[in-house]
Amino acid sequence: MNWGATVRTILLCAILILLHYTLRPLLAWRASPDFLIIALLVASVRVRPGIAAMFGFIIGLASDSLALGAFGAGALAMTLIGFGWSRLKAVFFADHVLLNGFFLFLGKWAYEVVMHLVVRRMHGAELLMQILVWSSLSAAVTAVAGVLALMALRPVLETRGT
Amino acid sequence: MARPSRFTARVDVVIFVACTLLSLVAMGLPANLREPVAGTLRRTLVAPLIRLQLGAERWRAAYLASERVELRRDTLALAAARVPTLETENDRLRKLLGLGAKIQWGFIPAEALQGRGRAEDFTVTLSAGSKAGVADRSLVVAPEGVVGVVQTVDPTMSLAILFAHPDFRVSAMSADGSAFGIVQPHVTTSSTTQEPAFLRSERYLLEMRGVPFRATMKPGAIVYSSGLGGIYPKGIPVGVVLAEIRTAEAWARTYLLRPAVNPSELTSVMILTPQRAAAGLINVWADVGAIDSATKSIVAAGDSLARQSATREAAARRAAIDSAARLYADSLHRDSLSRGDSVARAAGTLPPDSVARARARRDSIAAARIRRQRRDSIAAARADTLRRDTTPGVRP
Repeated sequence: MNWGATVRTILLCAILILLHYTLRPLLAWRASPDFLIIALLVASVRVRPGIAAMFGFIIGLASDSLALGAFGAGALAMTLIGFGWSRLKAVFFADHVLLNGFFLFLGKWAYEVVMHLVVRRMHGAELLMQILVWSSLSAAVTAVAGVLALMALRPVLETRGT
Repeated sequence: MARPSRFTARVDVVIFVACTLLSLVAMGLPANLREPVAGTLRRTLVAPLIRLQLGAERWRAAYLASERVELRRDTLALAAARVPTLETENDRLRKLLGLGAKIQWGFIPAEALQGRGRAEDFTVTLSAGSKAGVADRSLVVAPEGVVGVVQTVDPTMSLAILFAHPDFRVSAMSADGSAFGIVQPHVTTSSTTQEPAFLRSERYLLEMRGVPFRATMKPGAIVYSSGLGGIYPKGIPVGVVLAEIRTAEAWARTYLLRPAVNPSELTSVMILTPQRAAAGLINVWADVGAIDSATKSIVAAGDSLARQSATREAAARRAAIDSAARLYADSLHRDSLSRGDSVARAAGTLPPDSVARARARRDSIAAARIRRQRRDSIAAARADTLRRDTTPGVRP
């Protein structure tokens, strides 16, 4: 990845992180899009797995600092997701929009599952309902928002290894 | 080329393992150690993001607050707009309650629904039907007076014609019973829907026809049903006299009336059963008639007092004029006498002091004559009395 692509990726991730802390509170939906996950996917498909894991760890820890009950859980989930996405991009054609949407859905859903399992605030049917309904819905919304963002920014994006 | 690639792959795995371990360590940190780490992150890396989030949440709160304020303002505006209507309705219902208490029995309260599925303006749909006891030709009244007559009765609803209907007629009279006539709608020449509003409003006026020419009514006088027609009992207000109108009938007067009931404010009415109408309603609206007649009697009493005082004043004035004339005549007489005395005095037949003496003598002679006459009349009366008392078997 050349310097131009690196700068564009950093700017895009910065914009997505800003959106996470500005647009998300404004929307205040129960199942709102997770722009940090989208930023992680955008970065993961363009950097090495180790860098993606580190990026996931940093943004996960940053988000955990605002939720003391789950400190470290977000970092663990983001690390796993970032490393996994970066590894999987070699297997799948990662620049495909629908595949990106599918990965976003899986990533967000996995993040939610890890968070709920680690935090252990909910149990039984409530946990099942949360994972199957609200986490799925949140993952779907994130996937849609991510696909829209990727389609809008497609001209300025450039994947690694193409 | 294979060695660096394998090396970087190992580095990636090492970084991943390190991050995973660090995450697990973070998760396993005790609370007293976790908070300083999280606090440091919040104060450094996450601080600008938290400020952004706070700003966004403030924007959202302001937006929601403005929405709530707008909603509250709209609610208040809506409530304020409904207040006059509610006040009017409340007033009407209170009056209706008062009317119900006065009528006491034989009435069915109903809601008047205007303009529901009927093109005609002069009919009204009532929310009570034969199940509630409404009969055909039942009288419909409001607290203000006559509304109309029921024409069609269904089980749950009924249709009534208003007083503005061309078929409406009621025998009416003035409050003091001095003028009788037939009240009917005041039909104007044009009745299209394109006519001006003031003409459309005129269509709801009434006219009282056939009032005898000798009977006059002043504007503002209340007209009541006379009970002569058979349907409407006596004593229900029909309207208020606006003015006398000129018609071709030269032998009778026609008066324009403002209806007692405003059709646009007609929401709740009472339907009188035929039995109740037959029993009479004289005491229900009697206070209005009583006030009217009391006003008239007060005015009449005031007129008679004024007339009496005028008569008394004229009599006093006439007496004053008479006495003045008498004094003037006496003075003239006295002047002529004195003039005669002076003539005699001038001729030397009478001395100056003898005039006074002669006048005193004349006065004493006149007084003695009056005393004698009175004595004679007393004596005659006494003799008369004695004769009546002594005559046996004769009664005066």
